[in-house]
Amino acid sequence: MSIVGLLPHLVNGLALGLLFALLALGFMLILGLMEQINLAHGSLFALGAYFAHAIATPRLPLPPDMLQVWAQVPLGWRFTAAMFLAPVLVAPFGVILERLMRRTYGRDPLYGLLLTFGAAMVIEELIRIAWGTRDYMLPVPRGISGGFLMLDLIWSTYRFWAAGFAVIAMAVVWLVIERTRFGALVKAGAHDSEIVQALGHNLEKLRVWVFVLGTVMAAVAGVILAPIWGIRPHMGVDAVIPAFVIIVLGGVGSFWGAVLGGLLVGMVVGLSGAYASEWSMLSMYLLLILIVTFRSRGLFGKKSVLEA
Amino acid sequence: MRTGRTVPTLTPAMIAIWLAFATVPLWIEKVGLYQYLGVEILIFATYALAYNLVLGHSGLPSFGHGAFFGLGAYGFGLAQLNLVPDLWFCLAAAVVVASVGGALVAAFISHRRGIYYSLLTIAFGQVFWFIAIKSHAITGGEDGLLKIARLPARFGVATFDLTHNISLFYFVLAIFVVVSLLLWRLVHSPFGRILKAIKQNETRARFVGYDVWRFKAAVLVLSAGLSGLAGGLFAMAQSSAFPDVMSLHYSGYIVMMTLVGGGLVTFWGPVLGAIVFLLARDVIGAVTTGWMLWFGLLFVALVIHKPEGLGGMFIRPARPAPADAKK
Repeated sequence: MSIVGLLPHLVNGLALGLLFALLALGFMLILGLMEQINLAHGSLFALGAYFAHAIATPRLPLPPDMLQVWAQVPLGWRFTAAMFLAPVLVAPFGVILERLMRRTYGRDPLYGLLLTFGAAMVIEELIRIAWGTRDYMLPVPRGISGGFLMLDLIWSTYRFWAAGFAVIAMAVVWLVIERTRFGALVKAGAHDSEIVQALGHNLEKLRVWVFVLGTVMAAVAGVILAPIWGIRPHMGVDAVIPAFVIIVLGGVGSFWGAVLGGLLVGMVVGLSGAYASEWSMLSMYLLLILIVTFRSRGLFGKKSVLEA
Repeated sequence: MRTGRTVPTLTPAMIAIWLAFATVPLWIEKVGLYQYLGVEILIFATYALAYNLVLGHSGLPSFGHGAFFGLGAYGFGLAQLNLVPDLWFCLAAAVVVASVGGALVAAFISHRRGIYYSLLTIAFGQVFWFIAIKSHAITGGEDGLLKIARLPARFGVATFDLTHNISLFYFVLAIFVVVSLLLWRLVHSPFGRILKAIKQNETRARFVGYDVWRFKAAVLVLSAGLSGLAGGLFAMAQSSAFPDVMSLHYSGYIVMMTLVGGGLVTFWGPVLGAIVFLLARDVIGAVTTGWMLWFGLLFVALVIHKPEGLGGMFIRPARPAPADAKK
């Protein structure tokens, strides 16, 4: 295959990589700043997609006449509303989860992992009860759907928009973590919780907010990715695995590690898709095993409590 | 050691458990259940005991053990369909295939600790699961490997037909007895003590002079081989092998069984866990469709309030729970 032949796979890989990075970001926040593995990340991601679908199509549990009015609103507005409202609706699940996890703080991180595994099962089952096992599709407004021709190839318009949304969402998270007082406190708390508490800051409250931020990011990723991957009950498990692959690969606790990890995984999946599309998802595990064999903490990882 | 220098090979509790299992086919239908459930419980109890060698006895949180169980199932099925349809040969094939898989994984992860160990076992579990799904020509892909026969057990002079669930139950019970005896001896051997030392403090175990990674590799291979044996039995019981058992979900279920039963504090915990898990599946599943919801909630509650599991309610740990402390 020539370089030109590979170009679409490279571009798609890059776009996919940005989406993967977005997917991993919420997971990374909770792992890097709280040292908790949130296996329910994928389920929160799925909830975001389901809520977005309920808002955009519209299938909300509202009185029929109100629903009628909402259905008259152009899809573009409903989609925008879904993108902002769905994460807000998912946030309370994060608050509950954080409340449950409190008992495992300071213990072997394995307990947090197990607890969130149980929580993931519960959320997935709740989704099955509420929405059934069928697949849904999140409709995309006409302006950003469809495809376009470039270099004699058909490109999906929404993929590029989604990649753009991903960049914006990541930039917001970076600003919050690196450029605000909240971000500084949270990072300080992860570094030395005792000193931060001794200085009179309420660490418990900070932790809730970090968890909510991670949850909201999971839901945002769910909304943005739903039109591409589809909505089904086990989408959570399908999503949490690449997320953790990216984090381990990029290095626990590193923002740029997560971004680079996402891009690497996207490129590898995209390029291997050019040669063996059936096997493309396998390549990311092989990449992970390869990198971690030589760099045990991933690309940018630091020593952490997780190696206990 | 509470009982002095050595632990007896046979204990009253052990014999009581074996005898209790031996009576199961007599009453299981009278309480509204079915014979096959007994077979399934014994297979998963064997699997959970083998898994606990890694989790409970060595403190290695493997989250991809389904791969070894599945490798055993496929090893059994493929050996039977393509090589020799003999029970002993096929079971040996299951053990060998799973052990080789375990050795491959062990080569990569034995230098890792804690959560990194878990994450890498998840990655390897996914690799095996993915290969099983995509290799249609060998494994039948998502349709599975079908038409696996329940082969007769030949013991030189006598041959037992295992096509009926009751006869299969007693055969699986025999294997369970052998495996549990073997594991009991193993964890109370000098080798088992080193595993315990690694679990309590890996760095210190290394400073004492043990080649820690060799022990971690050996225990993973052993556990994988025995999980494969259980997988082979499962393929025979189901008359088929599917990639499901290798998925992250199933790998998580075996962790749940082991923890719910109390594998971290007692040797027999995983057996209790397997019974509770499969009974919950059938009993809660009969009442509502979302049994995983209720079992998941139960599991979350257990992790929060009783991390040592159900077994921990009956048995007082020999010393105050050491696994909890932050190292």
